[in-house]
Amino acid sequence: MTKLNEKKTEGTGFIFQMESFLDKYKLPVCIAGAALLLAVPAFGFSQYLMRIFIMIGIYSILGMGLNILTGYTGLVSLGHAGFFAIGAYTSSLLMLRLNVPFLAAMICAACLTGAVGLLLGLPSLRLSGSYLTIVTLGFGEIVKMIIVNWDAVTNGTLGLKNIPKPAFFGVSMTLANNGLYYTMLIMVFLVAVASMAIIRSNTGRAFQAIKEDEMAATMMGIRTMRYKVLAFVISAFITGIAGAFYATLVGFIDANSFTFDVSTLIISVVIVGGMGTMRGMFLGAALLIAFPEVSRSLMEYRFVVYGLLLVVMMRFRPQGLLGWKSQMPYKLSKRAKALLAGKNEPAQTANG
Amino acid sequence: MAEVLIVQQVLNGLALGMAYALIAVGYSLVFGILRLVNFSHGSIYAFGAHAALLFVGFEFGVLPAILLSMVCTGLLGILIDKAALEPLRKKNSVPIAALITTIGVSNIIQNLLMIWFGSEKKAFPAVFNLPMIEIGGFRIQSTQLMMCVVSLILLLVLTLVINKTKIGLAMRATEQNPKAAKLMGVNVNFVISFTFFLAGASAAIAGGLISGYYQIVYPGMGFMAGLKAFAASVLGGIGSLPGAVVGGLVVGVSECLAATFINSTYRDSVAFIILIVVLIVRPTGLFGKKGITKV
Amino acid sequence: MAAWKLRRPTQTMKTNLKRALGIILSSALTLSLLAGCGGNKLAESAAPAESAAAESGAPAASGAPIKIAVAAPMTGDNAEYGQGFYNAAVMKADEWNAKGGVLGGRQVEIVQYDDKNSSEEAASIAQKIVSEGDIAGVIGHFASGVCMTAAPVYQENKIIEISPSSSHPDYSGIGDYIFRNNTVINVEAAAGLDIAVNDLGKKNIGIISIKTDWGTNTAKIVNELVAGMADTGAKVVAHEEVMEGSDDYSPAIAKLDAAGADVVICVSMYSTLAPVAKQYKQVNPDIAIVGFSNAYTQQLLELGGDAVEGVCFPVIFYSGSDDPAVKTYVETYKEKYGAQPSALTSQAYDSVGMLLTAIESAGTTDSAKVRDELAKIDYPGVTGETTFNDIGDVQKSFVKLTIKDGQFAEANF
Repeated sequence: MTKLNEKKTEGTGFIFQMESFLDKYKLPVCIAGAALLLAVPAFGFSQYLMRIFIMIGIYSILGMGLNILTGYTGLVSLGHAGFFAIGAYTSSLLMLRLNVPFLAAMICAACLTGAVGLLLGLPSLRLSGSYLTIVTLGFGEIVKMIIVNWDAVTNGTLGLKNIPKPAFFGVSMTLANNGLYYTMLIMVFLVAVASMAIIRSNTGRAFQAIKEDEMAATMMGIRTMRYKVLAFVISAFITGIAGAFYATLVGFIDANSFTFDVSTLIISVVIVGGMGTMRGMFLGAALLIAFPEVSRSLMEYRFVVYGLLLVVMMRFRPQGLLGWKSQMPYKLSKRAKALLAGKNEPAQTANG
Repeated sequence: MAEVLIVQQVLNGLALGMAYALIAVGYSLVFGILRLVNFSHGSIYAFGAHAALLFVGFEFGVLPAILLSMVCTGLLGILIDKAALEPLRKKNSVPIAALITTIGVSNIIQNLLMIWFGSEKKAFPAVFNLPMIEIGGFRIQSTQLMMCVVSLILLLVLTLVINKTKIGLAMRATEQNPKAAKLMGVNVNFVISFTFFLAGASAAIAGGLISGYYQIVYPGMGFMAGLKAFAASVLGGIGSLPGAVVGGLVVGVSECLAATFINSTYRDSVAFIILIVVLIVRPTGLFGKKGITKV
Repeated sequence: MAAWKLRRPTQTMKTNLKRALGIILSSALTLSLLAGCGGNKLAESAAPAESAAAESGAPAASGAPIKIAVAAPMTGDNAEYGQGFYNAAVMKADEWNAKGGVLGGRQVEIVQYDDKNSSEEAASIAQKIVSEGDIAGVIGHFASGVCMTAAPVYQENKIIEISPSSSHPDYSGIGDYIFRNNTVINVEAAAGLDIAVNDLGKKNIGIISIKTDWGTNTAKIVNELVAGMADTGAKVVAHEEVMEGSDDYSPAIAKLDAAGADVVICVSMYSTLAPVAKQYKQVNPDIAIVGFSNAYTQQLLELGGDAVEGVCFPVIFYSGSDDPAVKTYVETYKEKYGAQPSALTSQAYDSVGMLLTAIESAGTTDSAKVRDELAKIDYPGVTGETTFNDIGDVQKSFVKLTIKDGQFAEANF
């Protein structure tokens, strides 16, 4: 136990100070942050700005979804626009054709997207690296092709219009009454909590083990195949949620809303923010969604800047802007502590 | 009538397939050496076509323009490697990093082309202006025929370079084991640069020929073509040149047949469906070597 | 061991410093980005289009300028169309400004918004335009799908939108503030068929259509119209849908050719029509091709070369027309931008004119009044006499064009 305490004093840098500050004042910081987010509409921002905030929320969810797959499990997907589309189309169709309420439609959409994720995850049993990436890319294109050609269901090239806004207890959530903003906040919060829970669970540790060294993970008795597919399912599920919400926000969707550019944007969020971090997703989404809005002076060069951003990040900061390793001592769970306390002075490695 | 149509479509498909094969060669070359899927290859191909268009504007004729564009595009390939990929190799970065870098590079090239040349489709002069040939009721465009001939010559030259020259030997050695090759005195970095040059130059030839065939050039031309060519190279066994040709032909023909029997709007998915099936059933592809699948 | 211990803290400190810098920089960047969003002003790089008026010594503007937004793809794959809209709008605004502005000397300012032809961008741009609060009307959104996303926002906030290009059948029905200055598909399709069947005297019609909302719809209407013309002996022998932006149309062409088509109705923009014409003429040099007015642009000639010789269209705007108004318009446009205006660009030009005329006759920029004026307008534009019907679609008459000796010419059958 003393060794652990000793380690704590080692860190002196900014990150350590920030982390220990956050650790110490966890509750006040959380309350302040939450209050700020809740109070955003009170500042009287224009609807345009509120819309951008909501888009940032949606891309944070997309980022968290892909992060499970790319950031934690190490499988790169360039086809998340496909999942995004399936989520958006499923929930919209349920709402439009069968008058299913938003919440139920969203859950159905997420489940279906997860099921498709299972299908796409199966090839990952045999493939790795770039091959898998290409398959996901092809998947995204195939989804688009199906949307365009399956006129009877998806309304083909005409797209779906008049997608209703979510309504809770008879109150329609719109941009004007800030209902959409709060719905977004709640969803981001729930997805964040759920992802956190997954990452900190045994499953999450299995994901990370696979990313670090698949061979070693197998040797440790992790059924890598199963976990890889599971990562696909979870990632697709979260992306489906984002899709459902996106559709009601925009009100009209067609195949052109889900191009390869969208997949690139999602992966850029993960990379810029920091693969394998939660905090990074919010920053990544905020930067990449706000960037085209403020960079209108750069106009045509902004896509070049996106590209440069990816290249430069990979070169100089592959871990992402917020991708630092925590310098806080590893916190043991209560159960582990109890176990340790029970076993008087457990054997410790001497490399501290 | 139906048989005539099918044969006609197969002929169309073969010509299209040759075009894919030309682009696929570039993927195979780079993958062979670096085990890296060069996502920017589609954009490099579009760059080659635009460079050729630019030089055509100087009026030395179409073929010299393509030659000049080969040099430029080859140099672009080297530039990409030196500026973006080599630093990653030095740092021993994870494979994802290189993959994402090439996606970024692809974005940069395509959008710069759009800014410099405009997004609209531009006319490209025909490379071969020869009449239609009619054999036993089937019409073959002479441009289609010429494209096949040129592609085959190009592939033959590449095969000779790889199998019969000293640099080719170095390339094969690097492919087998970069570290061992280095110890044997092979300048690995030079070999990689040379490979990127070859890939770029072959993309430029593909760009010139295919643009000459369709007589159209535009910045977005590399995206779909690049993806399908990649599918072709995987199908044939990535890293194998004859595989790239066979893969290209299979993708081209099945695309045209799908357009005939299902609908033209489904043709773009065909390549991907083939790709996914091949990867699941036989990840090494038709001509792939074993042990190459782990990337 | 000691040395190791000594060196270590400095190194950690260094890396920590670096990290801290990174974090501070990145958070500062986010903040400034977000602040920029709020600042709004930062976002407009669009040059106000008042230069010409200022130089020509027009009467000084009294009151704030009247702002008209052009929202269209300024970058990306369809930038050519958005740029055309913007150029045309600026030109129209300059004309009005040179004459002394609108509403007793208020200048007209064109503000450019880039929707990249993406629905997502368009929706946020529509919100942005609404938030500006002083935009008198919107010219734009190029693709139909994009218009469909943006239009409800305009309707909800009572901002007039005139799209020069949207062709979605439900578009103008979205609301009474939503107008379009584009041809209505069935009238144009009937005109095209008239050329194919009556003027060219062909009976075996093949259709190649692009798989977009406009293409699918138009092809459907053409099919229906041909079915109603059974007495003339005309029939559709084959219909092929193609993806826009593919370069190889040979499978579709082989199918049409095998079905014995002697005229092809090509439902597409110029970028598909030109390669289809080229590839078809290699297979069958005698094929007759009828296009749509969307393909009527100078680039068709450049891209198509000899192959588009003889292609016919029904158009509502013809740059070679003898009408003096059209002549001066075409000359000024060519002088300013070095290219012939296309049909869509001209429709944008007229859209701005209609909006300004409506504002002038309403005597205010109050959108409800302007809307009423717009609904009853009878505007003599370069694209012909224009009136809106009760849902906001235009009624126009068609001219038949063909391509002769590499130039557009009126067709004399």
